[in-house]
Parts: sequence; C-alpha cells; structure tokens
Amino acid sequence: MSDEQTKLIQEAVAKALAGNMDMINNIEDRVTRSKAKAALVKAKREAKKGAATSEETPSEEIVQAESPPEKSLNQKVAEAIEKKFPASLAGDDVDGHIQLTGANWFEIAHYLKDNPDFLFDSLQCVTGFDLGIENDLEVRYNLHSMTHNHTIEIRIQTDRKNPKIPSVEQVWRIGDWFERETYDMYGIIFEGHRNMTRILLPDDWEGWPLRKDYETQETYHGIVVQKVKDGWE
Amino acid sequence: MGLLENRFKDNVVVASLDKFINWARSTSPWFFQFGLACCAIEMMATAASRHDLMRIGMIPRSSPRQADVMIVAGTVTLKMALRIKKLYEQMADPKYVIAMGSCATSGGPYWQHGYHVLKGVDLVIPVDVYIPGCPPRPEALIEGLLKLQEKIQTERPLTKKIA
Repeated sequence: MSDEQTKLIQEAVAKALAGNMDMINNIEDRVTRSKAKAALVKAKREAKKGAATSEETPSEEIVQAESPPEKSLNQKVAEAIEKKFPASLAGDDVDGHIQLTGANWFEIAHYLKDNPDFLFDSLQCVTGFDLGIENDLEVRYNLHSMTHNHTIEIRIQTDRKNPKIPSVEQVWRIGDWFERETYDMYGIIFEGHRNMTRILLPDDWEGWPLRKDYETQETYHGIVVQKVKDGWE
Repeated sequence: MGLLENRFKDNVVVASLDKFINWARSTSPWFFQFGLACCAIEMMATAASRHDLMRIGMIPRSSPRQADVMIVAGTVTLKMALRIKKLYEQMADPKYVIAMGSCATSGGPYWQHGYHVLKGVDLVIPVDVYIPGCPPRPEALIEGLLKLQEKIQTERPLTKKIA
C-alpha cells in the first residue's frame, strides 16, 4: 500500500468515526474504498471492546472474591454417594473418575439415575480392563445425563480369581449386552444379570480372550488353531 | 450326475458328452450369495451393473441347494467355520469353492494374533481358486472366476479317472 493510500484511509476513517461517511463513500478506487471500510469496522470494534473492558473489569473481581470455587460434578456425585451409601467409595481422589468398591453398586446406580440433581439416564459404555497378571480386573462405566448434559466415569475393581460385580442391567437396559460382552472377554460375572452368557464368541469357547494371561486353545471342534505360522517372527 | 459319474471308458461319444457337460457347467456357475466381511462389498460391486457378473453366466443364489460355487468372501472366524462347513455340505455336487481375499486364503491380517480367526478356509473345506488381495478388486474376482471356468473345462465327468 502506498503512503498516499494509507494517509487517505486514515483520514477517511477518522472522519467516519466522527459521523461523516461522505469521504469514505467518495473514494474513487474500489480497492482503496473497501480497505478503508474494513479499517473503519476494525476501529469501531476496538473502540467498543475498550469501553466494555473498562466498565466490566472491577465488577468481575468482586464476584470472584465473594463466592468460593465451585465444586466439580465428580466431587458433588462422590459426596452424594458417600452421604447416602457410606464406605462405598474406594479412594478420595475423584479427579477424572469415581472409584467405587462395588458394594451396593446396584442401589447406587439406581440413585444416580433417579436423583434429580444428576439424572444419569444413559449408560454410554461399559469397558473391562485387565490391570496386569498380578493385579485386579476393572470395569469402567461411562454415564451421561440427557437433561443436564454432564458425564461421569465410575470405576470398580474386582478380584482376578473370583471376579464378581453387581449387575446394573435392570437399571439401564443397554447394560444387558455391555455386561455380556465384558463377561465374554474378561470372565467378570455380573451378579443379578438375567442372561449371563457369551455374546460374541460361541458358548463352548474356552478362556477369556482379553485377559493378559489368555492362552489360545489348541483345537476348536477338531480345527487346529495355529498360534504362529512358521517363517514369521 | 451321480448315476453316470466316472462310469464310462474313454471313447468318441463319451468324450464329446464330457465336453458338452463341461461347457454347460462352466458357463453357468451360479454362486452362493453370502458375504462375511469387507470382501463381500467387492463381491456386490462385481455383481452390480458396472462389472456385471451375469455376462459370464453367474447369478447369485440365496440357497446352497441351488448354488454351484461358494465364494468365501471375508474373514472366517472359528464360530463361522463350522457353519461354512455345514453350508458347503448342503450344496449339491458338483460344487466349487473360491477363497476370496487374504483372510479366506490364509487368515490375512489376523495371521498371527487373531485368536478367533481360521487361518485359511482350506483348513475346513477344499478350495479350487484362491484370489489374493485385501480386498481384491472386482477385476481380480472376475479373473478368479474365469480361472475356475478353465478348471471346470479340464474335468472329465463321465470317464473313469486315470489313477
């Protein structure tokens, strides 16, 4: 942009801000005119922003000073569970997820679904976890509320040798297939489930495929299951 | 053909009949319409208007009783392997099998760690033509079907097999 053009634009914008649009509209070169108008819009926006911040800043500070930091949803849910079902929380850290012991899980699930503050009406996912050969198995539940549009994650650990967790199939119907899939892959028995059978693998399958210590069966109905073919790493 | 199969000695009449039967079989191998995985999409594309399987005499049949060729299109899990075997046994002779794609020929990407995948459908049923690819393009499937037609044409249905 030439110096002359810049000068012209500056003058036109200054006049326009003062209320006189004639100079901007009378610029003959089309490119220069559009640039001048863009500059005018920018100048107006900045003027507005400056005015707004100068007014609002003090009031914000007052609000922050008065109210204590708001509790996160996880903290609220954990407190409500602890109040209603004592000793069912495992661990105080509720940052990110809520760890439960598994006791009263069916009742807690009902409570979380029906309590008007939470209304977790949708069970989005049930995931099994193997935390290592030496460690426990874990199940994670992702809950979502259509009304409040908030989500939490519940985690429950269970013993590897005798994995049992109360079923929430009768709280959220979708839990039926989720729990059957978790049972299929990890062998976690959901107590109270009305049809605790395998869902993907055939009923006569041996073992729990997604456990870390899973060993592939050698034959299946007479078909040899090759583990690794020769000639490959 | 059960009554006539492999019962005759080689002579001019039987040799011509052989040729006639082979011509009939090879130019109308109706295939069994079922797919197991993504290869089935390519099989559908092959049967659709652009590639048009019907011009080489192939019509999809929904019943194993009416089908001559079984195209195993996709990953064969161990659960499905038993069912594939049953379907193959339900097909009427003469019957042919095409293993389409790397999963059906060898297990494909599930070669090493697929605990539930059959490492090649030939462990369960006899295969006539293998088509490589993941998945094979319709051209490759048509090539395989033409190879199958060539194979059918070399058969001698009526004459005794030479040991």
